[in-house]
Amino acid sequence: MATARIPKGAVASELAKEGKKKTTFFDLLERPVITATRYVNQRVGFVTKMSRGCHFFFGPVFLAGFGVRVGGIVTMLRVFDQATLPFRTSCVIAGTRCLVSTNSYDVLRATALLQAGSKSNGLPSFEMQVLVDEALDDLPEQSAHFRGRRHLVFALLPHRSFVAYDLLRKRAHAALSPAAASDCAFWHSLLLPITIGVLGTTVGAVPVHSACLEEQGTGVLIAGVSGAGKSTLATALGQRGFTMISDDWTYLSDQKSTLVAHGLFAPVKLLPDAARFFADLENLDPRRSLNGELAYEFDPRSSMNIMMKDISCPQYIFFLERTPAPGCFMVPCRHEYVREFFQKNAERLPDELAAAKAFREKIVSILSSCRSWILRTGDSPSRTAEALADFLQEARHGRG
Amino acid sequence: MVEVRTPAYADPLDLLRRFVPTPLKASYRFGDARVVVQTNDFSLLPTASPAASPPEISECDFEWILVRDADATGTLYPPMVLASGAVTIIQMGSACLLGLDHERRELLAFIGSNVHPRTHQNFLVPLLCRLMNEGVASSSLSQFSKAREECDQ
Repeated sequence: MATARIPKGAVASELAKEGKKKTTFFDLLERPVITATRYVNQRVGFVTKMSRGCHFFFGPVFLAGFGVRVGGIVTMLRVFDQATLPFRTSCVIAGTRCLVSTNSYDVLRATALLQAGSKSNGLPSFEMQVLVDEALDDLPEQSAHFRGRRHLVFALLPHRSFVAYDLLRKRAHAALSPAAASDCAFWHSLLLPITIGVLGTTVGAVPVHSACLEEQGTGVLIAGVSGAGKSTLATALGQRGFTMISDDWTYLSDQKSTLVAHGLFAPVKLLPDAARFFADLENLDPRRSLNGELAYEFDPRSSMNIMMKDISCPQYIFFLERTPAPGCFMVPCRHEYVREFFQKNAERLPDELAAAKAFREKIVSILSSCRSWILRTGDSPSRTAEALADFLQEARHGRG
Repeated sequence: MVEVRTPAYADPLDLLRRFVPTPLKASYRFGDARVVVQTNDFSLLPTASPAASPPEISECDFEWILVRDADATGTLYPPMVLASGAVTIIQMGSACLLGLDHERRELLAFIGSNVHPRTHQNFLVPLLCRLMNEGVASSSLSQFSKAREECDQ
């Protein structure tokens, strides 16, 4: 057992930097003031308030004649309220308004590019409370892990970060390490897509597993199961001059019965075998992504001069299927096929989220009324993109 | 390691394991609180004597859903507690994720396969009781080191 005096006003990270992170800290001379009695049982434990967002609990405590023995620092409590999260901002994500409260300038910087203007006032909104805590740097790194039950969802993320989602109250509570808070890639590749992926359906942005592109004002969804080649075809279409909204996940909303697709300017992910189709990838190194896959991850604007935008109105849907035989064929789809595909590929929602389920059903219903085809291809991505562009040209003129 | 079969979650899609069945059900009285516990693993049912006359879920004060998570194989990490209004979340790594909704009187937990039944009974159940009764339970959390040792064995 080791003991040390807690410097007045110290925070955990400061103590850790002094090499005391494996020490039991306990103020021998001055019993800490109980600052939050609602959390404390005075007979067996008490709390030291280290900072506004960081409280240390101690216990059990045994008096031993001349000294004090302490069990150890057992947990850290992060309280999310106006006192611990004094900074406020709001941003627009996939057609929804995210009301951010935080204790960190890094979070304000990371969300600055998405800051909401006055036109965002009427958008459906959710809250995101982000507490940045240096003490998280001392925790071990964990693999990404997601679980949920009823209205609560838990997400363990890289950089020792953790987010809990409350889908009924439309809130996200995030405890981020400073490394995560200041990493733009973390925000744009992980935190924001995951957040809108989890909360989106409750606030009018239904995530669908589809790429979305636009050509001459015509929005196109490319749907397909994982591994079908959506991102590869989206990249090839982008190189042909299509504007990319998303390569993998698209967030759909309903504006006066018009289907509107939103993207997040998220990086494109391609598996290593895509390098044989895109020479630009030679300059990049594949990295391990969240699901453990090795993949190229790049900004299509800077890496391939592909145009991007964050909104479109999809009119056509293509369901991508790869076949071993060469050639590229478009087979018209029935409405039932479209409805079944999107229902089957959507995460089940619990009964507690009845409104969200009904809204998603409405979006699927609108989707099933779009003109749609199964795109069967055994050709290269560039040839498939060419065939799709030609087909769209025909379809726009009523000949598809 | 406790072995509990997890049903397929790909069709229909349930990546978050929201719909893992919890067919085992028992009622308890912890202090003044009447609790109905639902789980998919006998070893997660508290060893306290079940209530003599089990209340219906609509009559109970609290509902606990304890899911043994066969796919979460990590060990317990030091607890991180997030407290915000009506909701308190505690995560101890993938081995233990729990959320308590005070307003809805619900306690939802995923408990990894490496968490020993003894650890559950001696550490997690007292923690859940105190969370339910008084919010963040300092003294229950103090048993964490011992619990982790058991988990590592």
